[in-house]
Amino acid sequence: MSPRTAIDEAKKGSAEILILALVERRSLHGYEIGRQIEDQSGGTLRFTLASLYATLYRMEDRGWLRSRWVEKPGQRRRCHYRITEAGRKVLAAQRADWSRFIAALGLVAGVKPA
Amino acid sequence: MIDWRAVVIREARATGAPDLDDHTVEELAAHLEDLYQAARTRGAGDDAARDDALRALRESRLAALTESRPHFHPTPGLTRVSAWQSLRSGLRQFRAHRGFAVLAVLVLGLGTGASAVVYTLVDGVILRPLPYGEPDRLVSLWDTNVQRAVTHEPLSPVNFMDDRALPVFTDAAAWWRPDVNLTDPGMDPVRVRAIETGANLFEVLRVRPQIGPGFPAGGPHFSGDLIAVISDRLWRARYDAKPGVIGRPLVFNGASYTIVGVMPPRFDFPGEIDVWQRSRWDFRQHSRAAHFMEAVARLAPGVGPEQASAALTTLAARLEKDFPSTNRAWGIRLVPLLDEQLGYYRPALIVLFGAVGLLMVISCLNVASLLLTRALSREREMAVRTALGASPWHLLAQLLAEGMVLSLAGGAVGLVAATIALPMIVAHTPVPIPRLAEAAINGRVLGFIFASATVTTLVFGLVPALATVRRTLTTDLKSGDRAVSRASRTLYHALVAGEVALAGALLVLSILLVRTVQQMTEVPTGVGKPAVMTASVQLSGRPNTDWAGVAADHGAILDRLREQAGVRRAGASNFLPLDAGWRGSFGIEGQPPARENEAPQAQHFSVTDGYFESIGARLVAGRFFTERDTATSTPVVVVNELFARRYLAGGQATQAVFTTHMTGVGPLGRNLATGGRFEIVGVVADVKNMPIAQANEPAVFFDARQFPFRAMFLTVEATDAPAAVAALREALRAVAPGIPLTDVQTWDQRFRARTAEPRMLMTVLLFFGGLAAILAALGVYGLFSWMVALRRRELAIRLTLGARPATIGILVLRHGALLAASGLAVGWILVRASERALSRVLFEVSAGDVAALATAGALLLAASLGACVPAAIRAMRVSPVEGLRAE
Repeated sequence: MSPRTAIDEAKKGSAEILILALVERRSLHGYEIGRQIEDQSGGTLRFTLASLYATLYRMEDRGWLRSRWVEKPGQRRRCHYRITEAGRKVLAAQRADWSRFIAALGLVAGVKPA
Repeated sequence: MIDWRAVVIREARATGAPDLDDHTVEELAAHLEDLYQAARTRGAGDDAARDDALRALRESRLAALTESRPHFHPTPGLTRVSAWQSLRSGLRQFRAHRGFAVLAVLVLGLGTGASAVVYTLVDGVILRPLPYGEPDRLVSLWDTNVQRAVTHEPLSPVNFMDDRALPVFTDAAAWWRPDVNLTDPGMDPVRVRAIETGANLFEVLRVRPQIGPGFPAGGPHFSGDLIAVISDRLWRARYDAKPGVIGRPLVFNGASYTIVGVMPPRFDFPGEIDVWQRSRWDFRQHSRAAHFMEAVARLAPGVGPEQASAALTTLAARLEKDFPSTNRAWGIRLVPLLDEQLGYYRPALIVLFGAVGLLMVISCLNVASLLLTRALSREREMAVRTALGASPWHLLAQLLAEGMVLSLAGGAVGLVAATIALPMIVAHTPVPIPRLAEAAINGRVLGFIFASATVTTLVFGLVPALATVRRTLTTDLKSGDRAVSRASRTLYHALVAGEVALAGALLVLSILLVRTVQQMTEVPTGVGKPAVMTASVQLSGRPNTDWAGVAADHGAILDRLREQAGVRRAGASNFLPLDAGWRGSFGIEGQPPARENEAPQAQHFSVTDGYFESIGARLVAGRFFTERDTATSTPVVVVNELFARRYLAGGQATQAVFTTHMTGVGPLGRNLATGGRFEIVGVVADVKNMPIAQANEPAVFFDARQFPFRAMFLTVEATDAPAAVAALREALRAVAPGIPLTDVQTWDQRFRARTAEPRMLMTVLLFFGGLAAILAALGVYGLFSWMVALRRRELAIRLTLGARPATIGILVLRHGALLAASGLAVGWILVRASERALSRVLFEVSAGDVAALATAGALLLAASLGACVPAAIRAMRVSPVEGLRAE
């Protein structure tokens, strides 16, 4: 397994926690979510348009996110996503899971959080 | 400015994800725009920034998005957008399935277009009020006679004056139709269509001339002071629309009339009239037995038609008692003026409207079934959407939007088609439908098109939508296409069966009309030479007292005619077959004289020698007229077979002596050159002397030299039509150069014109019937193709188990025949249910006619079977292996 694929695999599992964490404090639209993931991961984590929105739709469908169209004068209308109560619970649970997982990686494989 | 939505849609279609919903497209577009703007902010050029955004789009697998999008939550502020979005996504659906959309829109456009045209005609001809003051208060009056079973006879002027005096009418006006030649110095003489009318006609109708004072209001009902009003059409065509025509004398039949008005454009009451002469004689000074007037009356305020009818019936009973010799068995009937003016066209247009309505419904059902199959094949997609949280309402909105897109497009196509077709139809209609020229697409027609588009949306948006949504709610993702619910299948069957049934009704209807025309054509007219040329001539040169001179002129024209090359026989008659002669009472010498009031009546004709021979009438006994019958020789008549059978039965028909009472009858009797006694010298086989649908009457034919008329129809049997026409022109030119020759037609053309109306209705209905059959066949084809596709596995298993392909094929065909038969049964019930409306356009054929049913049945069966043959063949070719392979 090449390093690139390892990250791809991890991305699949981590996309949801990343998005939930980003919209935890304020609602964001799709571009902002994608931008912030890419920026804050220093370019390591990047989603294609389709996978980003497919994930968003799936999460909304599961009731973790709620979307809302926002129209501002002189701008294109955008669909904003914010976290729901169910989403907060999932986020808390996933944070705990990932912490344990990364701790385990550190212990076993010498992986350290950056 | 880049249209990012278009970019997304294009890309989606190119990568096999055409079903992206609007929400997703909008979000992706916003995203791309942000990418683009970000690149520009970084300092990239326009092209580079665009490439950046496009790269992001292209590296995505858009298909991943088509199934993951949950339903769109309309937020309160966005409902408008969501309807619009549904519509746009409906549009996209069809852009992705062009063939389907084009077919559906064409079928709908056809239905809408045809019904828009017919509705425009119905609106313009039937629904629009007549252009007179309070037109619904106007009625026309007709005499009826129970003994002769006639209900639409002209009135006697004397009786009319009694009708007019009834307090149930504000006023009434009567007229008759003289033949009028108009001669102006320096212009060709023309025959004009004229009526001589009581002076109050325009007051009764409440119309005024556009220029000139008209007949003096409150002036005399008749007067020797001759005045006339002319039509706008005549004014423009002959007098260049010059106002100077008012006050100018015009010469009608040699008498000089002062023109006192020009009527408004298109006014031609009571139909195709160009000259209205004020009556020069007193309606009271005539005979109660002479029926030749037509009349219109205005109901008094607060009086209904029933009340007026009752008053007329009472009056008729009183007249019958007071004047038994003339009024026995006569009654009076009133008909609303609009119904009267439309005559045949009202029932015909109503039938046509019903037929086009059926066609419209068929095209809707057709599209509904098309949409249903598509909806059924999308059940899985719908199930996925539902499982992902799409609400039934969203699916419904989506499907309705698709229906709306189709019906709006269909409506638009129909409107365009109607706009193009209408002027062509109006211009090329072979029969003079009253008020047709004024039919135009107006607000009401647009409203009709809009309403039908709305209804069709509901019908074929909702029916498949409900079927699909209901199904989706009760289904799960695992079931494959094969598990199409029983309900959907029944619905599909019902839609197609409905199409077949309505097509069956239309086919039966059109064949009933074919039979009607056929029956009409087969009515014996007694005319043995349909190619005989006929033309109308009105001699107006001589004074009213010089009847011998009139007879001599006609004789000279005939002599000249017979000398022309190619002419075999020539004659003349004052009426042509299918038209009734003057009715008058008579007696037979030697038979006990009838009581004064009960003298029998017969139609009186004046014909020349050579007339019967030229039209090919058959001699039954005795002889026809010869050149030896003259004004001074023994007075003679020929009677028809019906006359001989009814009044001379048991005796020797010829040699009996006929006495006419016609001598006492107004201006008509003055024509008689001899006394009242005539020897019957011949019996002629019946020549139809009533309209096609009515029974013949006894008739007596006078020799035109002994009973002359100015207006005669010349009949010429010649080697060919051009020779006959040339001979007619030459003869008239030589003998009476100032007299116009009008209405030149062969008898066959005249006869065809008499059946032109049902012929036209037949043609249109056949067209509709054919279209309906094609649409129904398409529906059947769709249904069976779908069913066979659905049942491939079952068929394969059957084949595996040893069924023969032929059995399978027969199974499919039997199903098709069953569908056609049940459709036909329902269609026949529909036709029977509308029997009353149909009876007025059918002739000698009942709505339950078995031959029509059988023919329609055969056609429908052929169409349905033809339509399921491809499916049957496909069913027979199913490979048994398929049963094992699937799933």
